[in-house]
Amino acid sequence: MSEHLDRMTCEEAFRRLDDFLDHELNPEEMRLVQEHLDVCAQCTREFNFERSVLTGVRSKLSRIAAPPNLLSRIAPFLGRPDPKDAPDADGSA
Amino acid sequence: MQMLSGSDANKAPDASTHASASFEALLAAVVDAAYGYAFRLSNNRSDAEDLVQEAAMLAFRGFGSFEAGSNFKAWFFKILTNCYRSKYRKDRRRPTVDLDDTPDLYLYARSGEVGFPTGGPDPAAMLLDRLGTEQVVAALEQLPDEYRIVSTLYFMQDFSYEEIARALGCPVGTVRSRLHRGRKILQKALWQVAEEAGIVHPSRSVEL
Repeated sequence: MSEHLDRMTCEEAFRRLDDFLDHELNPEEMRLVQEHLDVCAQCTREFNFERSVLTGVRSKLSRIAAPPNLLSRIAPFLGRPDPKDAPDADGSA
Repeated sequence: MQMLSGSDANKAPDASTHASASFEALLAAVVDAAYGYAFRLSNNRSDAEDLVQEAAMLAFRGFGSFEAGSNFKAWFFKILTNCYRSKYRKDRRRPTVDLDDTPDLYLYARSGEVGFPTGGPDPAAMLLDRLGTEQVVAALEQLPDEYRIVSTLYFMQDFSYEEIARALGCPVGTVRSRLHRGRKILQKALWQVAEEAGIVHPSRSVEL
């Protein structure tokens, strides 16, 4: 009986969809979402579709190699004085 | 990309050593990823090279503040992102996709409406396989910068939310909420691009 009470509803599982697909939930929540998916065909269908979208977009935005001589072209510029309009080295603009 | 020196380039050198060779080894390990990220942000190869070069110069100058053993890639991407924001903030086109009230599961719902599959092992492939990289990039371009930058990092770099937060200098919760909204807007933009390309038609089913 207590095991049943631990189960998520569709709404609770759906709220965690992004985090579940990105493995950003803690192990207990991952387990609870997975348990819900194991018994809910509609949520499984929706989760699988969202995963498929993410995979498809990721594959289209595949990595792009830098030009082979980019590093060697950068090296001589290292250590030069600050350009006046450049942001700070700590990343602040 | 040729490594200039070093073997474990994603680890920081000893805190006492900030020699050019060590920096270049760290940079060599991330330069492809940095260039790809800069290219997707600027959509221009020459601008991407300039961005990486400028970020490298700034990073080298600030290398003394880099914490040994921490994530060089996230640190460098933060500098790179700020270079982009500094140079291109005013040049960005205004998004043409309607940003209001995009429902969850947008592509799932629209795919079902036109007869694309919503089940099976890779259900979104029917739509996405018909879109070229440039069309997906065009959809990503529709996102306002705050969502586009975080989405680009997410889709291209396999960063965790924590790493994205570090690279953008914002809380993890901000990354989570921007990614969530960015995904929704992107789905709407993908559908819009597909409609414009004649891949899907708003009012009738497609032949599979």
